[in-house]
Amino acid sequence: MTTTTEPKSTKYAGKPQPGIDDPSLLTGSSTYMDDITVPRMIEGAVLRSPVAHARITRIDVSKALELPGVFDVITGNDLVEIAGEQPVIWYPIPEQRIARAHALATDTVRWVGQGVAAVAAVDRYVAEDALELIEVDYEPLPVVADLEQALAPDAPKLYEDWPDNISGSMTLTAGDADAAFAEADVVVGASFRHHPGYGCPIETRGCISNWDVFSGRLDVWLGTQSPNLARELFAQVLSVPVSKVRVRTPEIGGGFGLKFDFYPEGVIAAILSRRSKRPVKLLEDRQESFVASSRSRDMRHDFEMALRSDGTILGLRGTAYGVLGGALGTVGSGPPWASVLTSMGPYKIPNQELTLKAVMTNRSPYGSYRGWGVPKGNIVHERLIELAARKLGMSRIELRRMNFPAPEEFPYFSGAAFTFDSGRYADCLDLATSAVEERGWNELQREGREAGRSIGIGYGFHIEPGAYGPSRVLNMVGLDHSGFDEVYVRMDSAGKVTVLSGQISTGQGTHTTYAQLVAEGLGVPIEDVTVVTGDTESCPYTGYGTGGSRAATLGGAAIVNATGRLKSKILRIGAELLEADPEDLELEDGRVSVRGAADSSVSTADIGYSAYRMLNGRLPESETPTLEEVDVFDPANMTTSYACTALLVEVDRQTGAVKLLDCLQAHDAGVIINPLLADGQLAGGLAQAFGGGLFEEFVYDDDGQIRTASFMDYLIPSATDIPPFHFYHQETPAPHIPGGMKGLGEAGTIAGVSVVGSAIDDALSDLGVTVCEFPMTPPRLLELIRAAQSGEATT
Amino acid sequence: MSDKHTITVTVNGHVYTDDCEARMTLADFLRRQCGLTGTHLGCEHGVCGACTVFLDDVAVRSCLTFAVQADGARISTVEGLAEGDELNTLQKSFQEHHGLQCGFCTPGMLICATELLRDNPNPTETEVREGISGVLCRCTGYDGIVKSVMAAADSQRDGVSESGSIS
Repeated sequence: MTTTTEPKSTKYAGKPQPGIDDPSLLTGSSTYMDDITVPRMIEGAVLRSPVAHARITRIDVSKALELPGVFDVITGNDLVEIAGEQPVIWYPIPEQRIARAHALATDTVRWVGQGVAAVAAVDRYVAEDALELIEVDYEPLPVVADLEQALAPDAPKLYEDWPDNISGSMTLTAGDADAAFAEADVVVGASFRHHPGYGCPIETRGCISNWDVFSGRLDVWLGTQSPNLARELFAQVLSVPVSKVRVRTPEIGGGFGLKFDFYPEGVIAAILSRRSKRPVKLLEDRQESFVASSRSRDMRHDFEMALRSDGTILGLRGTAYGVLGGALGTVGSGPPWASVLTSMGPYKIPNQELTLKAVMTNRSPYGSYRGWGVPKGNIVHERLIELAARKLGMSRIELRRMNFPAPEEFPYFSGAAFTFDSGRYADCLDLATSAVEERGWNELQREGREAGRSIGIGYGFHIEPGAYGPSRVLNMVGLDHSGFDEVYVRMDSAGKVTVLSGQISTGQGTHTTYAQLVAEGLGVPIEDVTVVTGDTESCPYTGYGTGGSRAATLGGAAIVNATGRLKSKILRIGAELLEADPEDLELEDGRVSVRGAADSSVSTADIGYSAYRMLNGRLPESETPTLEEVDVFDPANMTTSYACTALLVEVDRQTGAVKLLDCLQAHDAGVIINPLLADGQLAGGLAQAFGGGLFEEFVYDDDGQIRTASFMDYLIPSATDIPPFHFYHQETPAPHIPGGMKGLGEAGTIAGVSVVGSAIDDALSDLGVTVCEFPMTPPRLLELIRAAQSGEATT
Repeated sequence: MSDKHTITVTVNGHVYTDDCEARMTLADFLRRQCGLTGTHLGCEHGVCGACTVFLDDVAVRSCLTFAVQADGARISTVEGLAEGDELNTLQKSFQEHHGLQCGFCTPGMLICATELLRDNPNPTETEVREGISGVLCRCTGYDGIVKSVMAAADSQRDGVSESGSIS
């Protein structure tokens, strides 16, 4: 079901076009990172610290070097001769202490899994044999295993020259929160905890680095979402000119933000390559991924909300703790910062006092994962508004509705950084509640309860900042990079079209949606459009990378602009060939024709021939040869998508297990390019969030050892864990994005965690349980149930 | 090296003979020795299922099978599914119903679903979910995959009623 603002008469845009890359993906003919071999290539492996905090007192690599088949072994001290520290690009907290680390540890290890040495050998089997021959002595240091230990007054310190373990803190304010809380009729508050997890693409990370000292060129194949950024950072860390670095991306087996970040392994492989004078492939295996890929989500939010007795929200205040690791990752404390910026959600809250503290622990570096902090901002506002509804005795639906900004109040400043572009939030809420009624959930719940079953319906409303972002604004809030996007749209001498973009595709359908926009914008068959991404040598520059719901919004906007200009040029050349006025021409199905006179037409092949080969007498004197348009799009504002999600669950009070029965979402991402792929994005994101809401967790012991370093222990959802999905769309276009797209890649992960809590609470409403911790595993839920049954408070 | 073994396998109808160490997995043999990189490795400990292949008509984890165990066996991989230059019914259904995004688990998912539909041509949605639960997908939320397999079952039934045999 789709509710659109205006009827569509399009051929490709807005249509359920299947993925154009699918046939090769379905036949095993695509090329992923580990499918690539280059001439003379050897393979690497990394020796990782088995302890969370220690001084390295001795490393002996001599036995490893003697193993037949080994080319090179490096330690941190070898690496620092060539490489600088790993870069940090986000500095959102003023005067933050930035703890940087090299790609391999030099004297101190600060997390389990930190690299201490690396081997290059004839193949991975031999490289791993060699790791076992490296001897390292560690002198243990006191471990700061979790947030509470890090904050304790007598806590051991990760960095001796710091006063404590706090990397930095900041407070954002709007209005007067203290006054608002003083005059409030009702205050609700809780401590919310999202435990650590990660993006977990099924393809792990990998690279092939080829650093040729004689040409000075560094040629890298990298499984990354941000090839342009990676190129910049390779140049920065290795002190080589940007122009000498080429980054190419193969097919990518899922990214989810995790592959946005710039990791040590690319640098390690480059150093091994330079020293061994061979290209070096370095892949992460699954077990390594739990300690070597970005850890995410790990935060605590102690927040409270103040309301008047009529339900008007007066204020929001609290402190968020970002559980950083032993050094800062690429994005620093960016995601925890974003959680604070979005903690007011879609509600009008005039008075805010929002504090962020970024805290170091002996865990792996914190980094990007789809949603980038916003899922935890969502937990804050959605859990608090339900607590408030209960305390006020109001409907949780009506309490939400009465605090939304009205459509005419947009653009709406949220009070902290973001200005929401456009929205019909109440309509979206109604769309969801009527869908719940239509699907019979309310009746199902009534019947189930009568039969003694604990059936719950959860609701959640979310906002998704997209189109990250206006470059100068991003710079001002602490990003050492830009946010614009650039695209080339080129028609060749045969009249076919190639789009080149700095964005990449990790399965979200970038190539397909771009082909749709070009085919629609120009009036050519979609089969005539080729999309090229993933090579910094031929593709244009994109600020940031493919993340922050940027691909459809910014790349799409640039394509709409470039395609519009290219079409005008094609029509002007067509006018010359047809001896007509360009105003009288139309371009459809690859033919330029005089409107109303179909027999008077030329093909795009004729146009291409005239622009590239036979210019004389065919290309107007005023036109430059070739058919190419470049567009650089730097948005005036970010976009704000939103949705209302509803989830039907059943709780087993004996085991604490939660069964997800059905899920629906009423969504508004502005103009939808491809509803088939859009729904796929929403469903996939929700499934990931349900994993984070119920199952997935990095569990650490008191020594900072990770206890969940395989898929036997870190449980990502399978097909039997995930419910069916039903999506309902409304389209409120982004006012400042040509094409009107708002982005939706992160919607599901933002929406899906808090709604699990809402549904469980509802299923157990007779007990008064409040879910504040995620994942809500069966043991945790049993504890809540038992505490409630014995009359103890649960919040 | 002296600890190498010579094995012969028939993969998608082609015969491959090569040397390998006893510790080499079937997945690595297929990918490195046979050049069939369509079979993917997502965990190498037998959970994610991306590496699933047919070994003498039974779907197995090729990351948990040593290549030497497959000596003399008949193996089918994702590269053997298409019919000439055309996607087969299941592959077409995956494209039409968006049963894939990044494509990395897809080879294992297709092999698994092929076995499911061979053994149970009329599965319920619950049976499909159980049948594919041994392959982890991180992109789709399984919704598109379940629809793809159900639709492929429908197409196969239509194919049976028209031609009397499954094409």
